[in-house]
Amino acid sequence: MERWLVVAVVITLYLAVTLTIGLLAARRSTDSVTGYVAADRSFGLLVMYFVTGASVFSAFAFLGGPGWAYSRGAAAFYILAYGALGMAPFYWLGPRIASLGRKFGYVTQAQLVTGRFPSRHLSALMALLSLVAFVPYITVQMRGAGIVIEAVTDGHVPLWLGALVAYGIVIVYVLYAGAMAVGWTNTFQGVFMVVIAWTLGLYLPYRLYGGIGPMFRQIAEARPELLVPPGLTATGEPWSWGAFSTFILVSSVGLMMWPHLFMKAYTAKDDDTLRRTVILFPTFQLFLIPVFLIGFSGVLFASQPSSPDFILPFMILETDLPALVVGLFCAGALSASMSTGDALLHASASVVVQDGIAKYVVISDLHQRRLMQAIVLLTGAVAYYFALDPDSSLVLLLASAYGIISQFAPPVVAALYWRRATTPGAVAGLLAGTLVAFFFWRMPELKPFDMHEGVIGLLVHIPVLVGISLLTPAQDSEHVEGFCA
Amino acid sequence: MSLKTARLLTGAYLVSAMFFVTWPGLLPFARIEPLILGLPFSMAWIAGWVAGVVIVLALLDRVERRYRDRDDG
Repeated sequence: MERWLVVAVVITLYLAVTLTIGLLAARRSTDSVTGYVAADRSFGLLVMYFVTGASVFSAFAFLGGPGWAYSRGAAAFYILAYGALGMAPFYWLGPRIASLGRKFGYVTQAQLVTGRFPSRHLSALMALLSLVAFVPYITVQMRGAGIVIEAVTDGHVPLWLGALVAYGIVIVYVLYAGAMAVGWTNTFQGVFMVVIAWTLGLYLPYRLYGGIGPMFRQIAEARPELLVPPGLTATGEPWSWGAFSTFILVSSVGLMMWPHLFMKAYTAKDDDTLRRTVILFPTFQLFLIPVFLIGFSGVLFASQPSSPDFILPFMILETDLPALVVGLFCAGALSASMSTGDALLHASASVVVQDGIAKYVVISDLHQRRLMQAIVLLTGAVAYYFALDPDSSLVLLLASAYGIISQFAPPVVAALYWRRATTPGAVAGLLAGTLVAFFFWRMPELKPFDMHEGVIGLLVHIPVLVGISLLTPAQDSEHVEGFCA
Repeated sequence: MSLKTARLLTGAYLVSAMFFVTWPGLLPFARIEPLILGLPFSMAWIAGWVAGVVIVLALLDRVERRYRDRDDG
């Protein structure tokens, strides 16, 4: 049998298993909104660990990570640095959010923020900003899935078909079973990603250079600039310390503010599960080490892939691995893409309906669930449209998504910890921060010290939030007491 | 150890980690040699701070748990 056929069979089997797990999970979930959005608050440690890991690490980490290591060297280390730092505060924030969720019935992020700062426009604004950040993120995941399938089947399964099949399956189980399916499939996909990354990341350096140390010695000899932070830019110039440092900062602040990750706090069975997930998260994160090793192993390779993002499939195909291994790798990459994509699709629907539409129109529980399913389809279709028509501005949008998302951190922290914060303060801060981030995203040449626009946004956001809050009347202390324990 | 001390120490570790993986804290460690487990020094340095988070949070959890049990009892 030809290699691409074996690969196609392995991928088909993998997709079939994913779909089965997703559909089986549906039987464990109730028909309510809490069932669809927060899996009836039932996830134990194993599921939470892999759900969190697999939804944090997407096609960006699995394909982009090696691509960065390969072309930009030590610049990639920023991806390694921020995860654990971004997750750690959730040890305290997570149980707090979960307990308010149980108390007031919250299932989204904006519900919590506007519970403390009542304003349906604030809620709609957060829903809108989330959606703006989500669409390019989902697009990248779909494209990633399509690229991998096209590459390893020697073009027999084109990008449009690969992306369509993979995401057709994602949409089916997200529609059918919601958070429960996302949880159980991510567990399967998370195991897959970790095993594939470690196996391949340790194997390639040994196969090509006789070990990890020898590989880096040879790179240090030929291209020493690659191995010293802050590494290089996409065009091979030295990257700035300002950008390297603020990328880490904004990603740490923004990480858990992504609605699809934030909402995981509502899905945990109890607070201890949540805390242990946070404690163990860095162990998952260290799988970026073999991911980078895969990228570095391509540096001294004679031939080059068409784009750095293809380095992973490229190395696999160039080193003549057995077809079965190629298929398994491909399933690992698909896991990375689909496990984030499903969480994103699911969260975007939950957010748009709960925090946007439901604030202006009264809809029943059952209709809300139907509406969410319609939005999953719609968002999926829009992202698919962009995935087929690669527009460079979308990539730029994605890089800036953290600029938007990190602006959710001040209102969340203020809602839980600052008694004197007021609704006008929260609204003004969010508007100011987002507008400033947007301005510097459009005008990158004006950025001081090459800082990430999200950090500049926060530098404006926080003083505005504090200033306006202090200028407006304090909230009723009984109301505040419910949030700031 | 009291809860307050444990929380302060955890916070201090996280702030130090942020300092030592960005400018200017990373400057003295932004080098290739010596290789650690075969990895360039700066990569191992950052990975070390990440792995440390597991240990620090696990220790914090032991203290927090003791106080929570006391509250429940």
